[in-house]
Amino acid sequence: MKIALFIPCLVNQLMPQVAIATLELLEKLGHQVILPKGQTCCGQPMTNSGCFNEARSTVLKLLNAFKGVECDAIVCPAASCLVAAKENFHEFDDSPEAQAVINKLYELTEFLHDIAPVEAFTRPFPHKVSMQMSCHGLRMLTLAKASELMSPGYNKLEALLNKVPAIEVVYPEPHDECCGFGGTFAMDEGAVSAKMGKDKASAHANTGASYVVGYDPSCLMHLDGMIRRLQLPLETRHLAQILNEAI
Amino acid sequence: MATTTTANHAEKAEIFCRDETRVDWHSKALWLLRQKRDRAASSLPEWEQLRELGSEYKLHTLSHLGEYLEQFEANCVKQGIQVHWAKNGEEHNRIVHEILSKHQVKKLVKSKSMLTEECHLNPYLEQHGIEVIDTDLGERIIQLNKQPPSHIVVPAIHLKKEEVGELFHEKIGTEKGASDPTYLTRAARQHLREQFLSADAAMTGVNMAIADQGAIVVCTNEGNADMGGNLPGLTLHSMGIDKMVPNMEAASVLLRTLARNAIGQPITTYSSFYHGPKPGGEMHIIIVDNGRTKALQDELLAESLKCIRCGGCINTCPVYRRSGGYSYNYFIPGPIGIAVGAQQDDTNTTAWACTLCGSCTYVCPTKVPLDKIISYQRRLKAEQGKLPYGKERYMPMVGKMMGSTTMFNCAMSVARFSLRYLPHSMLKPFSGAWGKYRELPKAPKTSFETWYNQNRSK
Amino acid sequence: MSSKSDILAALGSVALAKHPMPQVEIAPRLDDLIGQFEASLKAVGGTLVKEDAMSALQAKVAELVGEGQQVISQVADVTGNRETPEDPHALRDINYAVIDGEFAVAENGAVWVTEQGAGIRIAPFICENLLLVVRADSIVANMHQALKQVDLQSTGYGVFISGPSKTADIEQALVIGAHGACTLTVYLV
Repeated sequence: MKIALFIPCLVNQLMPQVAIATLELLEKLGHQVILPKGQTCCGQPMTNSGCFNEARSTVLKLLNAFKGVECDAIVCPAASCLVAAKENFHEFDDSPEAQAVINKLYELTEFLHDIAPVEAFTRPFPHKVSMQMSCHGLRMLTLAKASELMSPGYNKLEALLNKVPAIEVVYPEPHDECCGFGGTFAMDEGAVSAKMGKDKASAHANTGASYVVGYDPSCLMHLDGMIRRLQLPLETRHLAQILNEAI
Repeated sequence: MATTTTANHAEKAEIFCRDETRVDWHSKALWLLRQKRDRAASSLPEWEQLRELGSEYKLHTLSHLGEYLEQFEANCVKQGIQVHWAKNGEEHNRIVHEILSKHQVKKLVKSKSMLTEECHLNPYLEQHGIEVIDTDLGERIIQLNKQPPSHIVVPAIHLKKEEVGELFHEKIGTEKGASDPTYLTRAARQHLREQFLSADAAMTGVNMAIADQGAIVVCTNEGNADMGGNLPGLTLHSMGIDKMVPNMEAASVLLRTLARNAIGQPITTYSSFYHGPKPGGEMHIIIVDNGRTKALQDELLAESLKCIRCGGCINTCPVYRRSGGYSYNYFIPGPIGIAVGAQQDDTNTTAWACTLCGSCTYVCPTKVPLDKIISYQRRLKAEQGKLPYGKERYMPMVGKMMGSTTMFNCAMSVARFSLRYLPHSMLKPFSGAWGKYRELPKAPKTSFETWYNQNRSK
Repeated sequence: MSSKSDILAALGSVALAKHPMPQVEIAPRLDDLIGQFEASLKAVGGTLVKEDAMSALQAKVAELVGEGQQVISQVADVTGNRETPEDPHALRDINYAVIDGEFAVAENGAVWVTEQGAGIRIAPFICENLLLVVRADSIVANMHQALKQVDLQSTGYGVFISGPSKTADIEQALVIGAHGACTLTVYLV
């Protein structure tokens, strides 16, 4: 497939290793991958703060970067940004061109699980990994059954990781409580955000895992800051990084 | 723990968080309720179907509310129930006081009613010389402690048993130093038994009002509503217009989810159907609006009225559990408190006391889209120019910067350079809450875009 | 009447689309209703007597009366030592109340008790111990079935009682015996 990468600002600027892993992984899987120019933030910091007027030009700039780009899918390795982009494109532009972009938007996990499924990965990753089920991917993209629901269980992140030989998947307790990042919440509500982050990082450490693995780079960055502050024997990894090494 | 009017949510939460042992204790106590809820919900294969039915029954009722309220009133009147209508809290209080003074009531026993909390009924009646005794154990504890509820279902959840023991020793004469919950509960039973027997009138809230029956349903575990409601001749029941359900079938759905979602019990110990005054007695129902019809004029805010006050969203909320019930500047805390009360918060911060994680929405037995409503409350605040935490200053700048490639790239290059080459101790003062609580990110050499242009782009 | 008409007028412009009345289409769990009821009742702190229950109840009440306990009974063939008063306050010293339940609910251990069955509304609450008599063939599966059986038109008051009164308002510690009865025994006849 021809894939256009949507690399949100945080990943582009502070976590390029996640974007590189995403690009290399998709290429190794045989896809043609391009990076449309002129991308920026999805507008989430503004719209989550209620500031829709302030978000408009940013959101439209991002949308314009994808309008008219020839591709089969637009893939993003950041669940929360992907959700915000979908909602915000819809909010500010109701044209058929905008809808065409929205229809092609996929988060990396759902793309690899639902759209272009991967059979198996060959190289073993003999480590225990603790699942970071970040909220927007979980409850808005339904990447897994959330613990609140009593419907049949599934987990697309775990399903993908289980295709990697020798990996051991474990869950923190509670399974899917918010890590406390929440965008500007991390700054506005520093004390609560930090306590949530500490509890989450400790829950991951209590599993005995070596890595915390997730699909949302912003949560992973927040957890990484907590893990290093608490000096826990853990490292954070994005799904793309694990899979790119395992292929 | 006293509530002040000036501090904003983050400030109150920061104070709450200073005692980490207590935060852990508080969080764990509430998470235990969430776990009990999960076990109870998972025992019913039809759980998700019940949530959908709960939502649909509520939407049906709210979209036909005028008809159902009139039907309800007519059926009540047939059974000899006296029905009153109040546009707001003041009118509600005035009606209650008129009924009580007509009967020369000196002492009123009251079971849990968040509506009377909303209307500030207790202070109003006390000013008029009527003694009000809250009879739910948790409510009695906080009434003796002169505090508002910190949770809508477990109002004294913020207090430790030793603190309750000390309070009871002082107020109702239990042994000094005694803190065993069974002992304290027995003492409260004796103390409140005397109040029930000497009350001139009783008042309860309403969990459901059934339109085609002219009946109200009151749910308690302690039996306090029924001890009150079935002793004195005069009983009053206050209900918001949102408590209406059309029929018994709708009630059966909500009676299956309410207690399971609240505390993990299959049903409350007592689910009482009051359908008329007791022989020789008088029964009054006061139907209250107090802003609810206004919420119904907005398609999204209207959904907040589907709430059946189980408190499940509060128990699961990771922010509530770590900031406490008194941090919200509203008498209802947590997600539902933000959804219905954010506009009344003068500090303009409670709408932001949320990570938008969505757990509340998924827990809710009537599918109130709490995270969407909270997000919308922020937008309403922003439109009024009432933004907290300096957002009115920096958000336009962020918008401008993100909208401009050059400015943004330039700013981020400086940020990456600083993070790589300057000692983090030097950066901490400029990194605000991030650096205070966490290590700063390890910065890469270049952005992905630069790497891509060097490695892929021809 | 003006507040009423103002409220109703405001409800004329509700922003919600008209939603149709839903229907409950949930298959009841009908296997072993007695077993389900027994498990539910135990979970909510109640006790079930099902072997020779009527004789057991009669013997129990005779014993209680013999001990001088204050017992009020509304159940035929079970004789207490107190009459139903007009003033509910007169029951302040009641130790045991014996009352017929109309039917029981398997999913939650609840028993439907009406004003007529109780003789006086306060009886099942003011007693220290509550003894309910329920017919074994009256157990329904769930609350949907239960509320179909409830006939409010024939009573001014009715209550589902599921176990003894309880509270967990002090540190989430479950304490049986709050304001209502401290024990509940169901005799299945």
